[in-house]
Amino acid sequence: MKKWLLFALMGGLLSASSVLGGQTTIRYWYHLDNPDNDYLKNIIKVFEEKNPDIKIQAELIPWNNYYDNLYTSIIGGNAPDAGEVKLMAMPQLVSMEALEPLDAYIAKWSEKDDILDDLWSKMVHSDGKTYLLPLHYIVSYLYIRQDLFDKYDVKIPTNRDEFLAAAKALTRDTDGDGRIDLYGFGYRGGRAGQEHWGIFALPNAKEMTSAQLKDPWTIEANQFVVDMFRVHKVTPPSAPNDAFTEIMGAFRGGLTAMTVNHIGSMPQVVDALGDKVGAVKVPACGKNGEAWTNFGDEENAIFAASKNKEAAWKWISFLATGPYNKMWTDGSAQLPVTKSGSRAPVPDRYKRFIDATIASLPFAYSLPLTPATQEFVNNVWPMQMQRAMLGEIPAEDMLKAFDELFNGN
Amino acid sequence: MRGAERVKRRRFDVLPYVLVSPAVLATLAVVFYPMLTAMGMSVYDYVVWKPSASKFIWFDNYLAALKSDLFWTSLKQTLLWIGLTVPMQLLLGLATALLLNRKFAWRWLARMLVIVPWALPSVVIGLMWRWIYDANYGIMNDFLLRLRIIENGVPWLATSGTAIYSIIFVLIWQGFPFFAVMLLAGLQSIPKELYEAVEVDGAGIWGRFWHVTLPGLKSVLVTAILLRLIWVANSVDIIYVMTEGGPGSASHTLPLYAFALSRKAMRFGSASAIAVLFTLMLLTLVVLYLRRVDASGETRT
Repeated sequence: MKKWLLFALMGGLLSASSVLGGQTTIRYWYHLDNPDNDYLKNIIKVFEEKNPDIKIQAELIPWNNYYDNLYTSIIGGNAPDAGEVKLMAMPQLVSMEALEPLDAYIAKWSEKDDILDDLWSKMVHSDGKTYLLPLHYIVSYLYIRQDLFDKYDVKIPTNRDEFLAAAKALTRDTDGDGRIDLYGFGYRGGRAGQEHWGIFALPNAKEMTSAQLKDPWTIEANQFVVDMFRVHKVTPPSAPNDAFTEIMGAFRGGLTAMTVNHIGSMPQVVDALGDKVGAVKVPACGKNGEAWTNFGDEENAIFAASKNKEAAWKWISFLATGPYNKMWTDGSAQLPVTKSGSRAPVPDRYKRFIDATIASLPFAYSLPLTPATQEFVNNVWPMQMQRAMLGEIPAEDMLKAFDELFNGN
Repeated sequence: MRGAERVKRRRFDVLPYVLVSPAVLATLAVVFYPMLTAMGMSVYDYVVWKPSASKFIWFDNYLAALKSDLFWTSLKQTLLWIGLTVPMQLLLGLATALLLNRKFAWRWLARMLVIVPWALPSVVIGLMWRWIYDANYGIMNDFLLRLRIIENGVPWLATSGTAIYSIIFVLIWQGFPFFAVMLLAGLQSIPKELYEAVEVDGAGIWGRFWHVTLPGLKSVLVTAILLRLIWVANSVDIIYVMTEGGPGSASHTLPLYAFALSRKAMRFGSASAIAVLFTLMLLTLVVLYLRRVDASGETRT
């Protein structure tokens, strides 16, 4: 009996001390392109100095499984308080009732006018509420090996025909051993490769409506992507499985002369290739010269199940505040979402990449924001793309599968 | 006095149940409860984030699975996966066990090293072999190119003709030490007198193997094959790490298909139906195998 009393007293003292200490812990989920450069630690240090009552427990989740883990944690009742969320995931998360509306917090936030004006409108969900707070953004552009374009006298492509001509001209056996050792284009047939596919297939099918997906132009454009691999062989043979690591590794290693990615991969590319690498807008592949490139966004959200929403808001709004957002984007090598951060000077060696990003902004789009988008990205697109690339299905069947997913046809 | 003894014996009889109950309770909690939940879920159009909106749809998930091309492709590949992996692991394991049962210098080191693939976590193995097979920088291509066995680098994991076989090769490499160790233990339990007896009868190497070694290993073989059959059939981790079932559906097996449907597409109802169908198939296979083994045992006795 005495022992029980002692345990009860100790328990009481412990819980009292945690209340008296008054420190709230916020579980925050994030992912990094380059996990070796965990810049978040420094930002947390600054935040915790300024907010001694809040402790940030940051959990780095591998990007490839970020959303699988997030959905599972929400369903299992173990969601973090806050975390990174992309726009394309918002519809599904809202339908899961997993996100906390941020309108009331934003209305009171003194820094809201420093966020780039265009970004606020993108954050609003179809129900009129805002669930996400911008963190950084990126726009995909074309990385080119400028030295190889010069050496082989190849014109920088501005449309689909020129792109194929350039890719063909750059695909070659450079050392005369009878094997192709340079490919024109590092195509991403694996996870998140819809960012490459969209450049060719989506300029006239941005919303992926049934009519757009059945349009002969879209069918032909989709066939063009498959033919680059199967007929023209301007992509490495591993293209069906290649994802971020493989396409960027092949580009840095000199196996490909062009690929598509964003400014986040720029530091490693510049470290490997220096001035040999250039950046230009993706080619305009639409029926009438329209272009499409991926608007890659990253936002923060507070999850509805959080018991510490005020503290979570303090943390995510800190990450979107001028100097701290700049700390984040300097670390992630992506673009700040604040007006003050965007005005900051850029080192010369990075300027061409920033220029390509800004030049691509007018035709940078997200995938259609529907609850099906997440399944499209995770499951349906890679499966259909790979099957078409391997000749298991006609290219047109890819579009039929997408039509079924998005439009129920 | 006799009555008191009977009470004592009855009290003593409770002990086995007490001892076994933690394992039984744990199995009920982590195996049977999820299994029953999955069976229940398989007859619902289960909306995982809104369970209240789930609809009871009888066997529609099962019918949809059976009508799906991907189900049959995955089933075909599952049979290939089991049919190649288990026999090859067995043969390689048996050969290794026979070698390790002979006396030679540094045998202790060989016995230690052979267990390494089995001891490595599957995720490490998957990542390691993914780089070995890498089409552009992998050492497999480099090695074969240097030996002039191939003329151009092969994208082992990126074509439908090679992806599943490449992964099967890895699983054979990972799993054969299990057979080797089990069979080595079995070999060491065979009395030497039996070998001497058949030698007196004039049996050669093959005769000794056929009439003594193989019958002596029977019970170990039955258990090892059964365990391996179930493990290999259910294994998802290496395929997931190496190809995620791709390219396309080239390395999809039924458990991986169910996993992808539940985890990536959040379709728990459809995934559960596939999991239940696969469990029934595997159960049938195991029962047939055990009956066959029993029957052959009876014939011999």
